[in-house]
Amino acid sequence: MAGQGNAAASLFTEPEMEFLGEDETISIIPNVRLEAVQLICGDFGPFYPQIPVKVPLWLGIAMKKRSKCRIQPPDWMSVERLAQVLDDEREAPREFQPLPFHYVEISRLLLDNAREDFENNFMVQSLLEDIKDVRWDKVEAGLKTLATRTHAVKLKNVSAMEVNRMRNFTVRALQSFYKHDSEDLVKQTGLESDSQTTSTSEHLPRRTLRPR
Amino acid sequence: MSKYYDLNDILVEDEVVSTVFHHKANGVGYLDPGSEDDNVEKGAVVELPLWLAQDLSRRKIIQVNLPPCFGAKVRKEVQADPACVNLRSKCPYFYEMGCKLADITGDPSLGGFLLSTLRGRYRDILCKALTSTITSTPKFMTLLTQEETHLFEAGRDSMRTFQKWRLQGPQLERAPILGRKRR
Repeated sequence: MAGQGNAAASLFTEPEMEFLGEDETISIIPNVRLEAVQLICGDFGPFYPQIPVKVPLWLGIAMKKRSKCRIQPPDWMSVERLAQVLDDEREAPREFQPLPFHYVEISRLLLDNAREDFENNFMVQSLLEDIKDVRWDKVEAGLKTLATRTHAVKLKNVSAMEVNRMRNFTVRALQSFYKHDSEDLVKQTGLESDSQTTSTSEHLPRRTLRPR
Repeated sequence: MSKYYDLNDILVEDEVVSTVFHHKANGVGYLDPGSEDDNVEKGAVVELPLWLAQDLSRRKIIQVNLPPCFGAKVRKEVQADPACVNLRSKCPYFYEMGCKLADITGDPSLGGFLLSTLRGRYRDILCKALTSTITSTPKFMTLLTQEETHLFEAGRDSMRTFQKWRLQGPQLERAPILGRKRR
């Protein structure tokens, strides 16, 4: 973030991404009685024991740490759903499956703090790790193809943490290739431009990293 | 002109290139260590820093020769195996110098050569940056030019901070502004 001293560091650090991810709502089952809380992001209804209520993730985690609630796992974190996502990821080598934008942060927070609220938590964790690995492999494979003339990169359904990991490298790589690619080859005549102009006309103006 | 304050640009222009004078130059004999009097003769081969060579060649006073790091021998080496060539020992600002020299010397193949070198090395940089640990990198990094090191470090650092975050829980960090003592 600005003013933190290390100008070369990424725009967002990982704890900051986690902070942003904590804004998502989850459903909790309180075991105490509380009146409605009025927060900047909205009002969250009166808490009655054993009645599920939707709250922001940070509030749910805070209450869980004080043993005031039980967390209901989100729908997308069930074993069947995650297994389905994993299969789809493996079958489509160039596309990403839709997942919540902050799925890495949310899953990590929930599994760290509310492990016992998941049945099959080992299964869920291993599935999530596999999904993460498969997606990151796709990202790396895509980055390898950056070497041809790419002006912009479009990635659909990439999650926040993955974007953060590759942002610095991708931006600098694109800058380097742009610097060397545009003026030199176009300006100089000679044998190379003939073979190069055919490939450039396919790729300009924009080359997507993955099909839409 | 936006590069006037850029430190890397200043350092690039500090590199020397060998040049040949088209005209006789009076009073600047200190540029040529081989001249007896205070003048530089026509046809003398002088080593000049890039910033001076750029300006003089624009006025057609000198002819800039391509430094050996862009010569035929290096091109063959790069063609054989781009990732193993030690570009840093030849010229740590290989790409930037190449870009500037392409303007001055008017060598048409230089731009293409730079690009193909970069492409060849890019894949290796990518792999090594994203999979490196603390111990395994130093050998490869010594082969990279300044620009490639910039790229490499971006990849490596982002992987490193992610690993750190994953393995450690969220920790409370002291904001740097609180560390300074006030008198």
